Amino acid sequence: MAMVGAQDRFTLTARYGVLIAFSAFCLFPFLWMLDTAFKPIDEVLSTTPSFLIRHPTLVNFATVLLHSPFLIYLRNSIIVSGFSTLVTMVSSTFCAYVLSRWPRQSPVRVVAGALLASQMIPGVLLLVPLYMTMRDLGLLSTYLSLIIVYCTFMVPLAVFMLRSFFDALPVELEEAAELDGCSRPAFLIRILLPLSVPGLLATGLFGFVTAWNEFMFGYVLINDDAHRTLTPGIMLFRGAHSTDWGSLMAASVLTILPVAVSFLYLQRFLSGGLSVGAVKG
Amino acid sequence: MGAVQSIARGQGIAQRAKTALAKTPRRRRRLPLIAWVFLVPVALLLLALVAYPLLNVVWESVHYVNLTNPTATGFSGFDNFETVFEDDNLLPALWNTVLWTVFSVGGEYVLGLASALALVGPIRGGAIFRACIIIPWLIPIVVAGLDWSWILAPDYGVLNLWLVHIGLLAHPVDWLGQLNTALPTVTLANVWRTFPFYTISFLAALQAVPPELHEAAALDGAPAWKRFWHISLPHLRPVTLTLVTLHVIWTAVNFDFIWVMTEGGPLNASTTLPILIYRYALQNFDVGAACALAGMMMSAMATMFFLYRYGFMGLVRARVRRLNAGDA
Repeated sequence: MAMVGAQDRFTLTARYGVLIAFSAFCLFPFLWMLDTAFKPIDEVLSTTPSFLIRHPTLVNFATVLLHSPFLIYLRNSIIVSGFSTLVTMVSSTFCAYVLSRWPRQSPVRVVAGALLASQMIPGVLLLVPLYMTMRDLGLLSTYLSLIIVYCTFMVPLAVFMLRSFFDALPVELEEAAELDGCSRPAFLIRILLPLSVPGLLATGLFGFVTAWNEFMFGYVLINDDAHRTLTPGIMLFRGAHSTDWGSLMAASVLTILPVAVSFLYLQRFLSGGLSVGAVKG
Repeated sequence: MGAVQSIARGQGIAQRAKTALAKTPRRRRRLPLIAWVFLVPVALLLLALVAYPLLNVVWESVHYVNLTNPTATGFSGFDNFETVFEDDNLLPALWNTVLWTVFSVGGEYVLGLASALALVGPIRGGAIFRACIIIPWLIPIVVAGLDWSWILAPDYGVLNLWLVHIGLLAHPVDWLGQLNTALPTVTLANVWRTFPFYTISFLAALQAVPPELHEAAALDGAPAWKRFWHISLPHLRPVTLTLVTLHVIWTAVNFDFIWVMTEGGPLNASTTLPILIYRYALQNFDVGAACALAGMMMSAMATMFFLYRYGFMGLVRARVRRLNAGDA
């Protein structure tokens, strides 16, 4: 017994060691970004850097907010992510309901298969034709081009997430509503959607964050500052202010903020729903 | 008369009711109109934004399409493919893509598995450790790329200064600006950001392993590594295969990380195939060549996916079935 106890203690110590090392590895770059954002320029450009900030300052945030196009980028990102989430949610909800209610019908299976396949098709392979299409339609450097294109990866994601939430509701609910003379659209609006609010919110937030984080299409399809979104925007910051790491980190922190807030809500789905849905394949 | 008529009508109704009853299951099997209506928006979206561009790639790969020279049009045969194959950057880019993909996915797998194994089972503060480990995955790729660029900066980057300070380096290294360190460095940043996804997935799979299996094996005196090898690892196999296949595809086509950190440089040292596609289309304006390369990549991805879907996955399922039958 004593042997087993010693072995357990050894295993436990090893686990703590591994976990502490992993946490440090994961946290350090994130904390260093936060740290730099609050440092004055002479401490950012110090040859003996440390986590300790002698004179904490908000000057980097002021620079970003007042003397850069950051707020314009922010507005553009909100518009693009907001509208693409809206379009995605409206079209995906109906589709997900059908996928959940009639999973064995062959037309439904075709759509589900196509969605799965389109989830596998990488954006960079669609980049050139989508760029050409937007160019031919005269939509380059417009919000509309990004809103449309973001649907390519947001819709499959949203449909599969919503379907798993709808699957969790008992089918008897719909049968009872049908017996009481409730039509399908009325059932959807008056029963299914109100019952799925947490799922709708999670899906919407996840879609919003995905659009918010997207870089490549925003970088390629938008060519003027007035319509540029945040992720390509802050990358271009780096070229414009190549030495001002403090401001760049402040801009990064501000960019992450809405993502972080969203995940405070989303984390309850992370261990269960999201990963299961992602791993199902 | 009246009675006969009403009986006849009654029979008619009964008859109709009977046919209706007989028909009901058949009608149930057909998809109601409203479901078709509900499917239309997404179906149209897929056709317009995925199917049409895909066909377009194939079409334009065998046509002359040049943004700076609109007079060059028409069927080109294999000219675009020739342009791609004659490009001296193609083979290095292909090799870089292989290195980038293999080391990224390999690193993510090892770190993901190690962290999941350390997290599984009761441990004080487990939730806090899990939260810390997931943080990189929440950070947008662009921000992660810029953050690492700052940490690795040759002049005031903290990594260089600290490594020099403790004596591991004689002088600061320009990690992202040197031919032999650029790609490995971006790979490291990519592993950092992506491995938490493996952690969550492996953790979920490990928690689903019935604890009795481990208890029984431990009672029989099996050491920890044997239990890992014969119990945990077989249960992780389906998840592993899905994760690795998906990430091989996602990593091979990743444009963002490399572009944000090095733009494929220095001197093409970190140029992969997606960067090459971007360069063909938006720097050389040769859309035909870009589509030829994209088309070839797409075929490679599709082959890999089908191998996974109908080859490996079938083998794994059979193995798991045997395994479960053995348990029973």
